Amino acid sequence: MLVKKKHLTPFPLSCNITKVIAMEKILEQALLYDFYGELLTEHQKRVYEDVVLNDYSLSEIADELGISRQGVHDMVKRCSRLLNGYEEKLHLVEKFVSLREKVGEIRKIAKTRESDPDMEEIEKISARILEEL
Amino acid sequence: MAVKIRLRRMGQKKAPFYRVIVADSRSPRDGRFIEEIGTYDPNQDPSVFNIDEEAAKKWLANGAQPTETVGKLFKLAGITK
Repeated sequence: MLVKKKHLTPFPLSCNITKVIAMEKILEQALLYDFYGELLTEHQKRVYEDVVLNDYSLSEIADELGISRQGVHDMVKRCSRLLNGYEEKLHLVEKFVSLREKVGEIRKIAKTRESDPDMEEIEKISARILEEL
Repeated sequence: MAVKIRLRRMGQKKAPFYRVIVADSRSPRDGRFIEEIGTYDPNQDPSVFNIDEEAAKKWLANGAQPTETVGKLFKLAGITK
């Protein structure tokens, strides 16, 4: 949907791989939750949190809540659909990601010319924008 | 009791960041964990996966069960039993 990057950097000590992966799904889900999570009901929030934030398996959640695994599965699906629906209408995550990228670029450029006081100021302001986004 | 290797979300809002933890499968949410063996930061481009390979291998050899997500990360990092 919105995340373009698809590579995983190697940890220098352990491996040297750069592969296309589906891991970015987790980032997408986490951002959707950060932006629209409050619009879910308490119960939905709890289940979605367990899946996306705490990495619990469906059967673990099912056991904990005393409902069927299928029930948990349906609920996660419904939550995803709801959150994606909000994003389709509001595009907050999309805007956030795009802004963060662009301001990041500004900051990077300004940083290379930090001896210039104006550039230093620009660097500081862009850092502040990134924090506030 | 089954031991699991899973991700746990840390980091502030809009900046997801994960720890790779080893925990008892019945540990309560946000509860105790046995050991932290790495981090995963999908905010960087490319993402940064930082793992104590030795600890990971040790836990896998002792029968700890990685979650699907952690399994994928391990596979990418070339960590197997």
